Amino acid sequence: MNNRRDFLKALSASTTAALMARAPRLMGAEVLHQPKATADSCILLWMAGGMAAPETFDPKRYQPFVKGAPMANILSTFPSIRTAVDNINFCQGLENIASVMDRGTIIRSAVQADLGSILHSRHQYHWHTGYVPPQTVAAPHIGAWMAKILGPKNPVMPAFINIGQRLEGVGESEELKAFTTGGFFGSEFGPMNLPYPDQAAASVRPPKGMTPDRFQSRRALLTKLLAQSPHREYLSDHQQESMLRSLDNAHRLLSSKERDAFDINLEPKESYDIYNTGRFGQGCLLARRLVENGARFIEVTTEYVPFFQWDTHKDGHAVAERMHKEIDQPIAQLIKDLESRKLLDRTLVIVASEFSRDAMMEGGPGSQANDQATVRGDTLESPAHYGLHRHFTQGSSVLMFGGGVKKGHVHGATADERPLVAIKDPVTIPDLHATIFTAMGISPKTVFDIEQRPFYATLDGKGKAVDSIFG
Amino acid sequence: MNRFIIPFALTLVSVVPAVAVDFVHEIAPILKKNCAECHMGIKHKGGFSMNTREDLLKENDDGAAVLIGDSAKSLLMHQITTDDEDERMPPKGDRLQEKEVQLIAAWINAGVPWEPGFTFKNSTYEPPLKPRRPVLPAVQNGRAHPIDRIIDAYLTKNKITSPVAIDEASFVRRVYLDLIGVLPSSEALQAYLADTRPDKRAILVQSLLAQNVPYATHWMTFWNDLLRNDYTGTGFITGGRSQISEWLFRSLAENKPYNQFASELIAPTKESEGFANGIKWRGSVSAGQTVPIQYAQSVGQTFLGINLKCASCHDSFTDNWKLTDSYGLAAAFSNEKIEIARCDKPTGKIAEPYWLYPELGKIDVSQPPAVRLKQVAALTTTPANGRFSRTIVNRLWHRLMGRGIVHPVDAMSSEPWNADLLDYLATYLVDNQYDLKKVMAHICLSQAYQSKTAPLLTDDESKWKYQGPRAKRMTAEEFVDAVWQITGTAPAKSDFVPKAAPAKGASSAAKATWIWSNDGVNSPAGETIAFRKNIELKNPVALAKACISCDNAFTLSINGKEVVKSDDWMKPVVVDLKPYLVVGANEIQIIGRNGGAGPNAAGLYVTILLQQGDQRAAIVSDSSWQTTAAAGGVIPPNAVWTSAVPCGNQLAWSLIDADVANAMSQTIVSSNHMVRAGLMKSDFLMRALGRPNREQIVTSRPSDLTTLEAMDLNNGSVLAQLLEKGAAKLLVTHASNPSGMIDMLYWRSLSRAPTPEEKALAVEVLGTAPTSETIQDLLWTIFMLPEFQLIR
Repeated sequence: MNNRRDFLKALSASTTAALMARAPRLMGAEVLHQPKATADSCILLWMAGGMAAPETFDPKRYQPFVKGAPMANILSTFPSIRTAVDNINFCQGLENIASVMDRGTIIRSAVQADLGSILHSRHQYHWHTGYVPPQTVAAPHIGAWMAKILGPKNPVMPAFINIGQRLEGVGESEELKAFTTGGFFGSEFGPMNLPYPDQAAASVRPPKGMTPDRFQSRRALLTKLLAQSPHREYLSDHQQESMLRSLDNAHRLLSSKERDAFDINLEPKESYDIYNTGRFGQGCLLARRLVENGARFIEVTTEYVPFFQWDTHKDGHAVAERMHKEIDQPIAQLIKDLESRKLLDRTLVIVASEFSRDAMMEGGPGSQANDQATVRGDTLESPAHYGLHRHFTQGSSVLMFGGGVKKGHVHGATADERPLVAIKDPVTIPDLHATIFTAMGISPKTVFDIEQRPFYATLDGKGKAVDSIFG
Repeated sequence: MNRFIIPFALTLVSVVPAVAVDFVHEIAPILKKNCAECHMGIKHKGGFSMNTREDLLKENDDGAAVLIGDSAKSLLMHQITTDDEDERMPPKGDRLQEKEVQLIAAWINAGVPWEPGFTFKNSTYEPPLKPRRPVLPAVQNGRAHPIDRIIDAYLTKNKITSPVAIDEASFVRRVYLDLIGVLPSSEALQAYLADTRPDKRAILVQSLLAQNVPYATHWMTFWNDLLRNDYTGTGFITGGRSQISEWLFRSLAENKPYNQFASELIAPTKESEGFANGIKWRGSVSAGQTVPIQYAQSVGQTFLGINLKCASCHDSFTDNWKLTDSYGLAAAFSNEKIEIARCDKPTGKIAEPYWLYPELGKIDVSQPPAVRLKQVAALTTTPANGRFSRTIVNRLWHRLMGRGIVHPVDAMSSEPWNADLLDYLATYLVDNQYDLKKVMAHICLSQAYQSKTAPLLTDDESKWKYQGPRAKRMTAEEFVDAVWQITGTAPAKSDFVPKAAPAKGASSAAKATWIWSNDGVNSPAGETIAFRKNIELKNPVALAKACISCDNAFTLSINGKEVVKSDDWMKPVVVDLKPYLVVGANEIQIIGRNGGAGPNAAGLYVTILLQQGDQRAAIVSDSSWQTTAAAGGVIPPNAVWTSAVPCGNQLAWSLIDADVANAMSQTIVSSNHMVRAGLMKSDFLMRALGRPNREQIVTSRPSDLTTLEAMDLNNGSVLAQLLEKGAAKLLVTHASNPSGMIDMLYWRSLSRAPTPEEKALAVEVLGTAPTSETIQDLLWTIFMLPEFQLIR
């Protein structure tokens, strides 16, 4: 997918379903120069719920738990540790990721819009689509942009795979669905959702209880019945052809060797165990197997469930400690595995969250956000108080590995004393998206005609890639 | 492609830092405001047009107006800055502001960036606003239906062969799916095929449209999409959204006249306000998506096919809508004054309530919002507003014929492929008191509708020409309903259960009394009594349903026409009286007959629910009814009528109380119908098949099956479970008769018998002793046939 000819070819291959009435039309493909891709695949490791940078990748002054200590003293509740790169420190508990920091870049100055009285999913929508909800048209997820523009890397693999997030039976699930979507590109470019990594294999296998033979003969029956249809005049009907082509594609994946990639139980035990810290760890393993088999965009989430996981509104320290355990080994192993398989150079791995947290500040200085902390006070009275419990949008960390980003590089910085805002080279969501898109060979100015209005890959086409992290 | 960082070094301006030029939002409005009058669209004064970048850069006698990258040498810069009255541009009026001049210069220096494909040239087509009654062309080949007269003339003129008529069974399948969203049952289909009446198609169409509950249920899908109503979704979690499901279902079941329907959404009641209030996300939102602006966008799109989304941020470049139009409509809605924001930046100007088509009338700005909205409703729905009627008939045509007369259906400013057809249907709607069912029936009874769908050889819409109806893909809801129907696996409970409509005006206290000519305690066996009740109707009824029981038998007539008879008092009869009632005087007459061998209790019980407009009234049997003896069922000419008498023992028939209550509530909403997907929350399968999450208004669903959808059909657990349950049922009924099972499945799924070849293949799969697995596989295969999934 490096040159324009391939790009246009991919477009024509991936738009069959989109040529219907009102389908998004790429505007000005003839003049838009897509950047040269430095990555062919992208894995987004999503720290859902608001991962506090000072508790993870941007340690500040450490305050141990001392009863009666002033809350105002709390910046970080973990001591900092060295990483493989001299000038970069992480929080204790992230030793494994620290050991691979020499393979990637850390952006410490990611900032998000302050969307007022905060609903996580609203920020997540913003992060995943680049647009603040509500929107007058259904904004596509960044994975859908990649699916639409780049198409699948391996034709049998779905281009956009979403791992680990349940979309039913969890809080704010309707809001989660609103951005976990192909949007106006249509469901062809939407996600294949695999909420349980250890059950992913079932989604690419014939239905439960069906032998491969039976699966093939059922398919054969369809072919034969179609051939016998008395309605021969529709054999050339576009709609019929397109329907059958999709059935063929689906059948191809369900019968292909690539479907084994979805089965993490086929992984050697030794390797499986390193990843298996829970569903997130399993998701990282699944992502690696899928990328090995030609997946284009994969998101793996720690899962957003209101007030769980990174959504720490009390007991922040204890929860963060557990989250460290959940993510540390699998992320590091993913990087190492991709590297040893010579895939890291062409796979962009991103670790990000919808915003950071702070113990005192809500949103940021001058914020419109309401206080979301469930426990508060002037002094530390119980472990429930100990942690970062308020949403903070003005200084978060984003890790990037592979895909052409610099190794052992730091971009931006946050203040060392409260407010812990980005004080150097801030990176907004449009700019971050521009960076990701550029690495994938998609111009941030890529624009589609949606209901006769231009809709850009990044807000108004204005996202600007952080060029300095590549090289 | 609209942002360029350029070093700003100009003679005009001294120190300006690098500036980002945004063509769409910064340059285009300046050009449009100052140059459009003479140099855009069809105007090219002095041979100079600015429609496209190419036009702008073209050299003419004076050279080029703009030199790429060199504002200092560009003629345009000179013209917009000079004081020379002969050279200045624009020639009259205000000069460009300093800031605007700077922007233009920056833009030229940046290389004249232009929106790819963008043109200032509006389509030369101007959609008419007023209704128009086209002259119908001559009848061709005996096809006298007005729609056919128009279409036949079109086909002749364009030398297109008229499409072939469809066979009866295909018609039945199509019209069932189109009007009530389900497949015909085998029995209904066979009965229809056996029917020899020449007008049986018309009878079928009428009878389907008269099935209020299935009709309403089916059309909920269309309207939920169009009004972005749903049973769950974003916004509900924080109370930022409310459902209009009850109101909507009832309105559809009652076939509320469309002008009234729209008025109740535009100037809403508590029940219907969910549409007007839109979706409010927690926190601050951009100026282009506030609740009042959403209102303007929704009203514009839904009822008028106007896209105000562009004009919510800035004056539209693609049509003539202006920022002040969007804000004007928003201001009519808003309780508070709203400040106009341009591209999310406040302008300091306060929006005035303003109606989009001033030629139709104005909003009285001095009135409070509730009154203003009534004015908006009146201005939208006035018969003089042809845009309103055209928009809805076009949507209905699209649903029934597979493609809009104006297409896409929301671009109502673009040219219809047949203006006569559109205008004819629009006037037909208005002539028929905005009765949507009548429009549907009218379309369904045309030969155009009853023609074969043409195979689609290309999906390139620009090459499309009308050649007959276009195949429609089943909606997710139709597909799921069809699978439920065939496999008998519909869920027992619906997520949304419409309540029986609370009768307005008719209190629930208006309970019927059992009556007879005397106290009816010991009425002679065989005694026959005539009852009558006269009612005066000022308006046509929207709804007239009766529930009647008589111990032991009755015959009901209205205005001399027999309506219904029954001889089983234990089964109260529910009947639609609407076809029999006229404006003016009506006589309801019931001949009741007591049964038994000796004297026994006799009584008549009647409840009639009437609706005119949104007013409901109940007419119940009581002493206001009159009676006379009618031996042998004949009322003597000299009959003396006396007041009916309440029966002595009202409890005698209490056994059917519950049935009567039930029957009455089911006159509007019946629980006798299969649970339907359109009333369920969306699930994995429906989402996979294209049911939108209704965060935005959706007016057409995707027409193609995608690979991910095909995956779900191949191995998704929802469908797999339905197949398994369905197979278990079929094993019970057809285990020993595989051949019959195959025939039945073909008839139910495809409304036809299998061909001998198809039959042979299916028999081969099922063998002589079908198993759950072989049945599942056959079911799956049939469901995957394009012939099944498409409405052809």
